[in-house]
Amino acid sequence: MELVGTVVGIVIKSLIFIIGMFLGAAYLTLLERKFAGHVQQRPGPLHVGPHGLLQPIADALKVLTKEDLVPNSVDRVLFYLASLMAFVPAIMILAVVPFGEPFTIFGLEIKPYITDLNVAVLLALAFGSLSIYGVIFAGWASNSKYPMIGGLRKAAVLIGYEVALGFALVGPIMMAGSFSLREIVEAQQNMWFIIPNILAFVVVIFSILAETGRTPFDVQEAEAELVGGYITEYTGMKFGLFPLAEWYIATFVLSAITVIMFFGGWNPPPLLGWLPIPAFVWFSVKVFLLFMFFLWVHWTLPRYRVDQITEIAWKVMLPLALANIFIVAIWIIIFG
Amino acid sequence: MVKIKYIERPGLTNRERVFFTDFINGMKITIRNFFRKTITTAYPFEKLTPPKRFRGTHGHRVKDGREPPSFKVLEKFMDIKEGESRCVACYMCQQACPVPELFRIEAVQTEEGKKKVVRFDMNLLNCMYCGLCTEACPVDCLIMTDIYETATYRRSGGVIHMDDMTERAVDFDRRRYNEPDRIWIDDEERSKLWGQIKWS
Repeated sequence: MELVGTVVGIVIKSLIFIIGMFLGAAYLTLLERKFAGHVQQRPGPLHVGPHGLLQPIADALKVLTKEDLVPNSVDRVLFYLASLMAFVPAIMILAVVPFGEPFTIFGLEIKPYITDLNVAVLLALAFGSLSIYGVIFAGWASNSKYPMIGGLRKAAVLIGYEVALGFALVGPIMMAGSFSLREIVEAQQNMWFIIPNILAFVVVIFSILAETGRTPFDVQEAEAELVGGYITEYTGMKFGLFPLAEWYIATFVLSAITVIMFFGGWNPPPLLGWLPIPAFVWFSVKVFLLFMFFLWVHWTLPRYRVDQITEIAWKVMLPLALANIFIVAIWIIIFG
Repeated sequence: MVKIKYIERPGLTNRERVFFTDFINGMKITIRNFFRKTITTAYPFEKLTPPKRFRGTHGHRVKDGREPPSFKVLEKFMDIKEGESRCVACYMCQQACPVPELFRIEAVQTEEGKKKVVRFDMNLLNCMYCGLCTEACPVDCLIMTDIYETATYRRSGGVIHMDDMTERAVDFDRRRYNEPDRIWIDDEERSKLWGQIKWS
């Protein structure tokens, strides 16, 4: 009986998370378009609904009702699989992201996370790395030159930055002494891990920009040279899933992971702990601000050349991440 | 022999290389723009009025007593009543046009021996709006108005005829005939509108 209750609870929670993430991602598109517009001194979507608020729904309807063309010479299995492989790992990371402390409503204890694994960080990194298959499959299965080049570029970038990202996250893990994201947050009640881990934070910012294909690292799309990158041959909703997964869900989830690792998760900022604001709101505000930072970077910077990107990954970011581990080790020796 | 001046590529200082100061400068610019007012026009709901010399859809000025002296000379050969297009079918516009096929001008001789223009069509789908035809017109008949919304549902809608050109020009003159042209740099109103231009 207890097992059934757990299963039902997890299914309901997963549904809420997935549907919430879909709707959230849809509105993140609106946020991005508004932001991009105002950065370029134009208002962005304005006419569907009040101040363009229903624009994501109109877009979703449009994309869903579009004709789904599949070119003749594609590898059909991989072609269909690729859009799922890009999308599913991004949303799977949500399984380990804790959105707040467990709280009680009507005598029912609700945990605002799906699971609290003791290898959560590793799982998040692993799912992040899985999305490389979506990219490679899409590039290969399209049987066309631009998707192939885009997929290979993205693969090169991803491999480089996965290493740096993994090493950068070692610092907070060392300080918390745990892989569980919940325990990492609880270890930051007195001081956020950004303090000794500032180098790791820089590395993580760059890695997230590279992994989610935002500028200055958007070589896989590079619309000026590669048409649309590995999504060139896709149409309809399959086309829509790639940017949705990459630009919005992955960026959002990785922002959440970064907030948990470096900015104290749902802990209130120092000196503001007396405010009667629930933990969930603090967490959302931090993730939102970090997401806005990524948008800000995206709509400011031009693109790096692909060799420069991998060069930064291996020659700058990896040594920085290793140096951070060294610094954190000394910090732990001195301050316990 | 042209001499070549070699210029070193500006190198990055260590400060720029370590702290990504160029990133920060760029992001300062975008955030400043983010909080500025938008400069766009919500087009179908707000429409800008172009300047008077804008080269929009063509119009035919009518005989209304404001003709240039050249028209007075030609007038006695023409069968034109007050309020009708003052076109004299001289074909100068067609001569000046880079795509002369877009004009269809026909004139007939009436029983009194006068000339009457019966057809003046322009296929604006081929028109590049260069304005050479209006400059060639000896009687200041063919003009370009400030109307720029030329989209139609059929290709035949792109062809304009003498009657609707007459209407358009009458409307345009009613609105803007007395407005100064605002191209001279000593015009105060113009300076207010567009600022003073320093000519080199």
